[in-house]
Amino acid sequence: MANTQAKIPNEAKKKVNVKNGLNWLWSEYSVIIAFLLIFIIASFMSPRFLDLNNQLNIFMQVSIIGIVSLGMTVVMLSGGIDLSVGSVLALVGVITVISLNASGNILIAILTAFVVGSFAGFLNGLMIAKGKIASFIATLGMMAAARSIALYTADGGSISGEVSGFTAIANRDIWIIDYPIIIFLVMTIFVYLLMQKTRFGRYVYAIGSNEKAALLSAIRVDRVKIGVYTLAGLLVSVAAIIETSRLNSISSSSSGSAYELDAIAAVIIGGTRMTGGRGKIIGTFFGVLILGILNNMMNLMNVSPHLQGFVKGLIIIVAVVFQKRD
Amino acid sequence: MSSNSFITMNNIEKAFNGVPVLKGVSLEVEKGEIHALLGENGAGKSTLMNILGGVIEPDRGTIEVNGEEVRITDTRSSQSHGISFIHQELSMVTDLRVYENMFLGSELRNKLGFLNVEEMCVQTSNILAELGVEINPKKYVRDLDTSYKQLIEISKALLHNSKLIIMDEPTSSLAEHEVKRLFDLMRNLKQSGVSIIYISHKLKEIKAVCDYYTVLRDGNVVGSGEVQVENLDNITKLMVGKSISEERFNHYSELGPVALEVTDMMSEGLFKAIDFTVRKGEIIGFIGLAGDGRTELFESIFGYRRKYSGEIKVNGQIVKMDHPYQALQAGVGFVPKDRKENAIIKDLSVIHNMSLSSLGHFEKSGMLQAKKELNTFQYYKEKLNIKVNNPRITIDKLSGGNQQKVIIAKWLEVNSDVIIFDNPTQGIDVGAKREIYQHIIELAEQGKAVIILSSEASEVLKLCQTIHVMYQGEITARLKGEETSEDEIMRYATGFRKLRYNQAFR
Ligand SMILES: Nc1ncnc2c1ncn2[C@@H]1O[C@H](COP(=O)(O)OP(=O)(O)OP(=O)(O)O)[C@@H](O)[C@H]1O
Ligand SMILES: [Mg+2]
Repeated sequence: MANTQAKIPNEAKKKVNVKNGLNWLWSEYSVIIAFLLIFIIASFMSPRFLDLNNQLNIFMQVSIIGIVSLGMTVVMLSGGIDLSVGSVLALVGVITVISLNASGNILIAILTAFVVGSFAGFLNGLMIAKGKIASFIATLGMMAAARSIALYTADGGSISGEVSGFTAIANRDIWIIDYPIIIFLVMTIFVYLLMQKTRFGRYVYAIGSNEKAALLSAIRVDRVKIGVYTLAGLLVSVAAIIETSRLNSISSSSSGSAYELDAIAAVIIGGTRMTGGRGKIIGTFFGVLILGILNNMMNLMNVSPHLQGFVKGLIIIVAVVFQKRD
Repeated sequence: MSSNSFITMNNIEKAFNGVPVLKGVSLEVEKGEIHALLGENGAGKSTLMNILGGVIEPDRGTIEVNGEEVRITDTRSSQSHGISFIHQELSMVTDLRVYENMFLGSELRNKLGFLNVEEMCVQTSNILAELGVEINPKKYVRDLDTSYKQLIEISKALLHNSKLIIMDEPTSSLAEHEVKRLFDLMRNLKQSGVSIIYISHKLKEIKAVCDYYTVLRDGNVVGSGEVQVENLDNITKLMVGKSISEERFNHYSELGPVALEVTDMMSEGLFKAIDFTVRKGEIIGFIGLAGDGRTELFESIFGYRRKYSGEIKVNGQIVKMDHPYQALQAGVGFVPKDRKENAIIKDLSVIHNMSLSSLGHFEKSGMLQAKKELNTFQYYKEKLNIKVNNPRITIDKLSGGNQQKVIIAKWLEVNSDVIIFDNPTQGIDVGAKREIYQHIIELAEQGKAVIILSSEASEVLKLCQTIHVMYQGEITARLKGEETSEDEIMRYATGFRKLRYNQAFR
């Protein structure tokens, strides 16, 4: 209230404001601070780290997981989880290559990918919203089923594209920035705007925070949930196109495996609450970059690949411990 | 300092984000005394009690128990001094059973270390019986009516042999006869030397049960004394700075066509044979005791519960209510009771809570306009006198009464033809209550059909032209607002008299 504020002496108020500002910065953007710290440490530990090529390389390597993580963030904000992203990515890749080879048309291949990815997501959403199945269970089922269909379709192996030009998607660049990086950035901005500036985003936060109150606010909770998982599926299909195009082939058995874990890790490091309702797309963006830098560092320093999982696990736990809990 | 004082709080100060909320508050409570803590919404009552209960720590000030200075750092240390706390917002775990909630954190075990379920159930039943409540201790809390939840919350505090019980608005969703039961119990506790700090916005209750009072205003103590020697009007003036009329509102809005017509509605085990109409410009009330089914009835009309039979007509059109969204589209709005569970989105800001059900009003080519949301919020902030420094903070930082005002603003912004208020003034101070009633009258004058559900007879008596009394899922009486009385309402609400109202009114 105006009159209570007037009673605080100006100087004290300033001090308080600075302190509040810092508190606010820490609680809202602790992941950015963590990112800067890790970035600085990395640049001291390895001289090659700051190399522009290395930087772009990091960005390139995280772009696929990054796009998947954006969808995962939306799902987790709504209070759910999507374990099927990795398997769906493999399935989308396999069907995209088949469609590409059959039609000879890149555009048709891309559209196929979108349809398959969002349909898988739609099915997840349907099971969760209408079937009232816990997201963990529904997407676990989807994870097994999608992988199995991918394996069956590709006979357990890899299939490669036979249309020239398809590889351009992941391997061309504008100036020196590779397409996947650009796609990742564009998707980040898109999902950010969707979550912060549209009705849909607001509803997702509301549902994740208090589903009953959201329903009593006349929000069509089921529809929003189906939308959430469909969006996640669509983003997986974008990631699948990049993954397939990069090597012009997809492996039905190994592509996308454990992507769900990396994506969940990035979302958690980015400060999104496991139970939904609180978190930010920007947080996930930096969470993804933190994971990328860690991987890169360990490669530069010749850490055994077998130990890399251990380090990653440690970082996730530390990140969560440091995050402000309520 | 008298030797008889149990708790003394000295010069307590507390600020949140640099805004002082308590500015040197002192409070003394003697053994076996019922002490009323009064003040308007946002005065700092709950904050002071949170300090005593160990939920938060003060910035400055000391606390003495039995004359000895103590440090209360967490809820456990508060409990170890014999203090128990009934919070303003219900904090039950709804997915647990009644007895599990009662003994949460202090479960009884037998010699082998297993949970002693039978003993816990017996003790639960006994305590509830003292409050006149008969429910199966093995029932899940989520299936219970709000007033039962509140009674369980109270019983939980009685379970521990406390020396001081803090009751922060314990009666906000209780009906009068349940309140009477509680008061008998409080008097018994007082006899056995237990002290009680009692927070309520219902002055009648203060007069009935409290010995001393302390009034807070903007974080300062502005008055204290003996309840019996002070006149209620003076206390009200201390609280809100003006006296409040207790008169009935008279409004003469022209009644338009029927806005909502419900015929022969029933839902297994909840309500049956429900018929009523409400016209544009009319305010009708529904009242009853716990288990009367009025909330369930209107939750069904709002499309939240789908299992019902019967016919609902809105503006002459039959609508099958399957979803709250459908109700909203048809022109029915619903302000639910029990805000923490049903209305507050605690991770959204104050502004975003206000705009949640009417986001269409703030959209421009698919994008939400933050500026417009802020402007609209400022409008309601003025209109309803919502006390908040920064509306971008999450809503759970507001005082209980101010949260309730935001929820009312949210539904005023929706602006539906028919608007249902379930216990709309829960936790709202006497001054603001009058203002909210004034808004409800304005709604009617604008040609809205208004339905008020309440457990307080005085509330419906002040506002409604027609009052429907419910008892165990049926409408037992339909009374004219100007002609009836609290006594008559209570007779029908307790099932003592049952009128064949259908013949009388059709
Ligand atoms: N955690 C918090 N962060 C910021 N402000 C807070 C917090 N808790 C309380 N406040 C502010 O402190 C003031 C006093 O709140 P408090 O809950 O003590 O009021 P109250 O007297 O209990 O009111 P009511 O009758 O509405 O329950 C309010 O203005 C509120 O916004
Ligand atoms: Mg309060």
